[in-house]
Order: sequence, then structure tokens, then C-alpha cells
Amino acid sequence: MDAITFYLSGILSLVAAVVVVTRRNPVYSTIWLVAFFVTISIDFLILRAPFLAVIQVLVYAGAIMVLFLFVIMLLNLKPEEILETVTRSRKAGAAVLSAAIFTILCAAIHESPTVQRAASLTAPLPQGHPLANRDDTVAIGESLFRNHVLAFEISSVLILVAIIGAIYLAKKRRPSSPVETAPLGPGGSASPGGAIETAPAGGRAEKGAFAGEPVGARQS
Amino acid sequence: MSLSGALYLAAAIFCVGVYGVLSRQNLLILLMSLELLLNAVNLAIVAFGRSYMVAVPDDPSGPQVLVVIVLAVAAAEAAIGLSILLAVYRKWRSTNAGEIDMLRG
Repeated sequence: MDAITFYLSGILSLVAAVVVVTRRNPVYSTIWLVAFFVTISIDFLILRAPFLAVIQVLVYAGAIMVLFLFVIMLLNLKPEEILETVTRSRKAGAAVLSAAIFTILCAAIHESPTVQRAASLTAPLPQGHPLANRDDTVAIGESLFRNHVLAFEISSVLILVAIIGAIYLAKKRRPSSPVETAPLGPGGSASPGGAIETAPAGGRAEKGAFAGEPVGARQS
Repeated sequence: MSLSGALYLAAAIFCVGVYGVLSRQNLLILLMSLELLLNAVNLAIVAFGRSYMVAVPDDPSGPQVLVVIVLAVAAAEAAIGLSILLAVYRKWRSTNAGEIDMLRG
């Protein structure tokens, strides 16, 4: 039963992966990528990694995919903007190269003594095994904070750097002199006349904020 | 159910990801192909960990901890990659990797 589920979700994940890399529209790729992550998390469940299965759905299918969809919506690509100019020969070359990598990997898996000696993936744990009577998630936590604390700390620094870098990269660059930006409304990107015409409320609010005094004077 | 089956599956997913990285020009789909690569490796790590859970009982959760850290790296990579994509789109009005060739010698 486990084997059937594993191979079924494996085939599904392979199909989803192929669809992801062959769709022209990135939105469809993203939706299929969600299906791919869910099938991988089913595989994790069968491989006795329930915590990872949940994290896979939460982080990948939840957070990262939402990030992708947000960026796609932010870019608002037109159909002519997603056209690609990949030649047939380049696609064929990519297919040959990845097939060659697959062949080499299969040969290595087939020959490897480590794989041949390995136990079955559904083998029950013996009585004295450390995980026999314990929760897997507790074991992961203890292993993470006892044996692998350094990796944990380094990855936290990495995420901090990534946050700062992402904010810096995604920030809109402003013109160097602040005087030029002041008359523009919050729309910003349009031509100055258009921005003022289309957003009078923003312009007025900005003027009030700059003047400051008259509003308070009228109230008192 | 043997370890080699899971490893063949991971190898196949990895090669689909390699094909995506090599044959596509849309930067969004390139980043998604990178996610496929990372997931294939994660699957292989978890399968190895499950298979050697019985034979090597000290630190049986080590592989899963490794996958958690790979996940953190993947999240950082996706965030940075997407913000680079946004910056590139603002400058060149394009998400096509074939058109962004300023560094070509």
C-alpha cells in the first residue's frame, strides 16, 4: 500500500514537474508547482517525515508560491512579453544534456554499494531504536538544537541577509534630489502634469503636510 | 519498496529541473526550475535518512534537519531571486533572460 502510494505520487510529481517547465505562461507553471509540492509532501509522509511534509506545504506551497504569484501580478506581463526565442536546437541540446545527466545518475544509483546495502524504506524500527517510542518532531527539534546548532545559527544569519538584500533590491530608486520628487503625487511614475490631474487628493494632502500650520490654526 | 526507487524518482525530477534551467528564458520559470532541483535533492536526502534509520541509529533525525536547513536556504534564494527579477524588470522592461546580456563579453 505504501509502495503504491509512493510510486503513484512520484509519477504525479514527475508529470507536474514536466508541466511546470513546459508551460509558456508562468501563472500555469506556478499552479502546477503547487501540485508538485503537494505530491512531494505525500512522499515525505510515506518516508516517515511528517514534520517535513507539513513544512513543505506551509513554506513552499504557502509562502514561496504566494511570493511567486505576487511577483507575477506585480509585473503584469502582457502576452507578447512572455514570448521566448529559444531555438529548436537549443531545446534539443538541453534535452540531450539532461538525459545524459539522468543516465549517469541512474548508473551511479545502480552501482552504488551504499544503495545496495540500504534497508527497505518501509522497514519497521526495532524495539531499542531511539525513534521507536518518540515523536519525530521532538526528535528533529532536539537534533537541530543539540547536534546542528551551528548550521541553525548560520541559516538564521543567511535569512537576515536575504531579508535586507530583498528589501534593498526591490526598493524603488528615487531621483537623487528630493526637491524634484516633491510636486509629484503618490502615483509617481506618470508625467508630472498627469499625476497632479489624476490624483488631486494626494497632492492636496502632501501640500497640507508640508504647510502644517494652516490646518492646526483653523482648528484652534 | 526500496531506496533505489526513490532515488530514481529524485534523479528524474532533478533532470526535469536541469532541462527547465537550460531550455527556458523566462526568469520566473528559471527560478521555479531551481525549486524543482532543490526538491529533488530533498527527496533523495529524506529517502536516504529513512533507509539508514535502522542501521545507523545515532542521530536518526539528522537528514531531516538537513532538509529543514535546505528549505531555509531555498526560501532565501527565492526571495532574493524574485527581488532581482523585479529590479531587472524595472530597468529593462523584460523578464527574458536572453535579452539581459549586458555582461556578455
